[in-house]
Amino acid sequence: MTDAPVTTHKDLSERTLGVLLLLPAALLLLVIVVYPIATLFWNSLHSVDQANPQTGEFFAGLDNYTRAFADDRFWSSTLHTVLYIVVTVPGSLLLGLGLALLANQPFKIKWPVRLGLLLPWALPLVFAGLIFRWFFEYKTGVVNDWLVRFGMDPPQWLSDPTLAFWAICVAIIWKASSFMALMLLAGLQTIPKSLYEAAEVDGASKWQQFWEVTLPMLRPAIFVALIFRTITAVQTFDIPYAMTGGGPGDATETLAMYIHKTTLDFLDFGYGSALATLMFLISVAATSGYLRYTRRSSGRGKDD
Amino acid sequence: MNFNRRVVVWFAAIVVVVNGFFPAVWILLTSLKTETELLQVPITYLPLDPTLDNYVLAFTAQPILRFMWNSIVVAGLSTALCVFVGALAAYALTRLRLPHRNLIMSVLLAVAMFPLISLMVPLFKVMRELGLLNTYPALILPYAVLSLPVCTLVMASFFQDIPPDLEAAAMIDGCSRVGALFKVVIPLSAPGVFTAAILAFVNAWDEFLLALTMMNRVNMRTLSVGITLYQGEFAFPWPLISAALIVAIVPICILIAIFQERVVGGLTAGGVKG
Repeated sequence: MTDAPVTTHKDLSERTLGVLLLLPAALLLLVIVVYPIATLFWNSLHSVDQANPQTGEFFAGLDNYTRAFADDRFWSSTLHTVLYIVVTVPGSLLLGLGLALLANQPFKIKWPVRLGLLLPWALPLVFAGLIFRWFFEYKTGVVNDWLVRFGMDPPQWLSDPTLAFWAICVAIIWKASSFMALMLLAGLQTIPKSLYEAAEVDGASKWQQFWEVTLPMLRPAIFVALIFRTITAVQTFDIPYAMTGGGPGDATETLAMYIHKTTLDFLDFGYGSALATLMFLISVAATSGYLRYTRRSSGRGKDD
Repeated sequence: MNFNRRVVVWFAAIVVVVNGFFPAVWILLTSLKTETELLQVPITYLPLDPTLDNYVLAFTAQPILRFMWNSIVVAGLSTALCVFVGALAAYALTRLRLPHRNLIMSVLLAVAMFPLISLMVPLFKVMRELGLLNTYPALILPYAVLSLPVCTLVMASFFQDIPPDLEAAAMIDGCSRVGALFKVVIPLSAPGVFTAAILAFVNAWDEFLLALTMMNRVNMRTLSVGITLYQGEFAFPWPLISAALIVAIVPICILIAIFQERVVGGLTAGGVKG
C-alpha cells in the first residue's frame, strides 16, 4: 500500500503491455467466435434459404423459432440428445471412476496402464464410432458372436431403434470414460495418504474408506469432469454419425446432426441458425444446473 | 507386497490395458484378414491366412498420405498458433496486475462452452465469403480458437508457480518484460506449454465436424474425415477400413507413446489446478 504512488507509472505500462499481450487472443476470438455468434443470432431472425435463393433474405422475426417448436424432428432429435446425456454422462463417470481407481494402484511398470488410458482418449471419435459399428454388425460382429456362444438370439443391433441407441451409448461411454479416468486419477493422486492411515487406525474398512475419504476428496475433480463431459455430450455428433448416420429413419439422430443436415444438406441457414441458438441455450441450461448444484453443496459444506 | 495385494495390482493392470486396447487390437487383426475370411460364420479371431493386401489397397484406394499430410499441417499450425497466442494471454493474466482479470478468464471459459455446431453454421458462411473453403486456414483458425481456453488455463496454472524473483533478476540483467517471458517464464514452465501443445494437437487431429464442413474437396480432407471415404455406398469393406484406420492411428499412437508421461503428468497438473 505504501508504494502505491511509486508504482503508478509502472502500472500504466503494465496495463498497456497486458492489453498488447491479450490482443492476439481477443482478435482471434472476435473473428472466430464473436462475429459468427452475432451472425448466428441475426440469421436466426431471418429467412435465409440458400436452397431457394429466389425467395431472398428477409426479416422473419421469431418465425424460425416457432417453426422449431412445431417441428417434430426438432423435438425428437432434442429428446435423443437429452437421452444420450442422461445415459452417457453417469455411465462414463462410473466407468471412468472404476478405471481411475484401478489405474491408481502401485504398478512397477507404469507405461502399459498409462497407454491403456491415453489410447481411447487420443482416438478420434469417428474412429471409435466406426470400430464399434464393426463390433455390432449383425452377422460378423464380435458382440453377436459372443451372444450366440451363450445361446442367445443375435439381434440386428443397428437397425433396431432402441438397440441402436444403446449400442451408440456403449461406444460413447467407452470413448468418454478414458478422459474422465485421467481427470479423476489426477484428483486421486492429490488425496494425502495420511487420511487413509487415519481411517485405518479408526478401523474403517476399505469400503468405508472409499465412501468417507475417497469420494468426498474427489468431489471437485468429479465436478470438473462432469461439466466437461456434459458440454461435449450436448454436441454429440461423430459417434452416431459413424455408427448409424442417425438411422434407422431418424431414430438415433441428435440435435447436432439435425442442425448439420438442415444447414449443409437443405441449405436452410435461417432455420439452422435458430436450431443452433436453441442448442446453445440447452448447453447453458445443462451446465448452469451443475453450477447451481455445487454452489448449494459447497454452501452446505461450510455449514458443517 | 503380499500375495493378495499383488493379485489386485495385476487384475487392475489387465482390466485397464484390455479396456484401452481391445478396439485397436481387433481392427489390427481384422486388417490382416481377407474379405472371404471375414464372411465366415462363426467368425475367426486370429487371421487364418494373414495378408497385407488390405494395406496396399488402403494406400491406393484413397490418397491416405495426402489426408495425413493435411492433418499434420492443420493440427501442427493450429497448435503453434494456439500455444503462442495462449502463452501471451496466460502471461498477461497471471504475471501482470490487470483490472478485470477474473472477467477475462470467465469470458474465455464461456467461449469453451459455446457448442461448436452452433459456430459451424455462421463460420461456414464467413469462410465461404472470404473464399477460404478448402484451404488450410479454414481449419487452422477455428482449431486454434477451439483449444485456446484450455491451453491458456493450463499454461496459466504453470506460469503462476514461477517465482517472480527469477523474472525480476532477468530484467535486472537487461531483459525486457517480453524477453523475460520467452527466456525465463516459458522455458521454466516447459511441461505446461508442452501439455497445452499436446492437448491442442490431439483436439485438432480428432476434430470431425468442421473438417467435414469446411473441406469438401477430396484432396483437402483430413484423416478423420478421409477414413469415412473408404466405405462403399452400400458395403462396408471392413478389412480395408481397418487397415486404413491402423495407418491413421499410428502417428497419434507414436506421439502418445513417446510423450505419455508428460501428457498424463500435464493433464494431472492442469486438471487439479484448473
